Amino acid sequence: MTYNKYAGLCADMLRAALKEPAKTKAKAREAIYYRSAVWENGQPTKQVITDITEGTSGKLS
Amino acid sequence: MLRRAGHSLGSRLCQRQGQLEPAVQGLKPSFAVAEEAVEGARDASTLLVKQRMKSVANIGKITKAMKMVAASKMRSAQVNTMNSRGIAEPLLKLLGDLPDAQGKKNVYVPITSDKGLCGGINTTVCKYTRASIKAEDGEDKEHSIVVLGEKGRSQLQRDLRASIHSTVADTGKVRVTFAQAAAIADGINTTEFDVARLIFNRFHSAISYKPTIATVLSPDSLEKEAEAGGLLDQYEIEGPDRAELLQNLSEFNLASTLYNALMENNCSEQASRMAAMESSTKNAEEMLGKLTLTYNRTRQATITTELIEIISGATALAG
Repeated sequence: MTYNKYAGLCADMLRAALKEPAKTKAKAREAIYYRSAVWENGQPTKQVITDITEGTSGKLS
Repeated sequence: MLRRAGHSLGSRLCQRQGQLEPAVQGLKPSFAVAEEAVEGARDASTLLVKQRMKSVANIGKITKAMKMVAASKMRSAQVNTMNSRGIAEPLLKLLGDLPDAQGKKNVYVPITSDKGLCGGINTTVCKYTRASIKAEDGEDKEHSIVVLGEKGRSQLQRDLRASIHSTVADTGKVRVTFAQAAAIADGINTTEFDVARLIFNRFHSAISYKPTIATVLSPDSLEKEAEAGGLLDQYEIEGPDRAELLQNLSEFNLASTLYNALMENNCSEQASRMAAMESSTKNAEEMLGKLTLTYNRTRQATITTELIEIISGATALAG
């Protein structure tokens, strides 16, 4: 559990507590999407797509 | 061939005085093959130029559209970029800008775009990365690179393949958010760096986007700098949680600086693409102008040649 993850979880919970017009706008900022690969000896290993477009709310890990 | 053409033309002229066109038409069946061959040769050069003109005009239209799309994207990205500065600047004020911080493990994070046709910004970022690695090179210093963006990856994997720790792409595919920057920052943290250097293009205005290096320190390096009299030393950090507090601060610092860097680079990319497409459209228009002149010149030359043939045939017959 890094500080970033902790702050992100708090932010997600705060966004979930918002009322309607602000809620949808804030929910858009929750999405995480990127593609990454760790390299070993100058070669990329498997590509991992991190797709948490619904945010990390509710998942305490 | 010309003399023979003139002969038959002349005979027809004798029959129908002053009617040039039917005579020329009458010429066709007798010397059909020769005529068509000459006509085809004349049309070929104008046809080629015309095709080229059409393709250049299309390219001009496409680049003009791309420029407008980039301009509108830049406008909306500018607002978000200015807002993101409000997250990174307080940390800069708190910890100070430390470009000459020294550490054993250095990680370089060049931030580039995924798509091309955006001018020279990706090349300058890669150039600064290489220069920075060279400048910091010394004995017992380790370097590793975390590349963000496809363009940077393809450029840096040519000579710095061995130093690449990981690559990240498609950051702009859905949306650049702080949560995404935080996730990527946690990935960078796994390299356990002493000093991290983020290299990106900072957006100043629509025509000015300068390559910048932002330095982020690990908690141990922060301690070292604070002891050496850095800005952090102004604050009293009490208690047994000092290490944990500095750890949290460093992690958050990396995430916010990375978020700001991603937004600034995105905005710079759109501005650069706008400029590149603008010059491309201008070049296309210039090329089209030149081709139009060539086309008209060729067209007029072929008409003149035809006239000369007909008239010389007629005069050969008369004289």
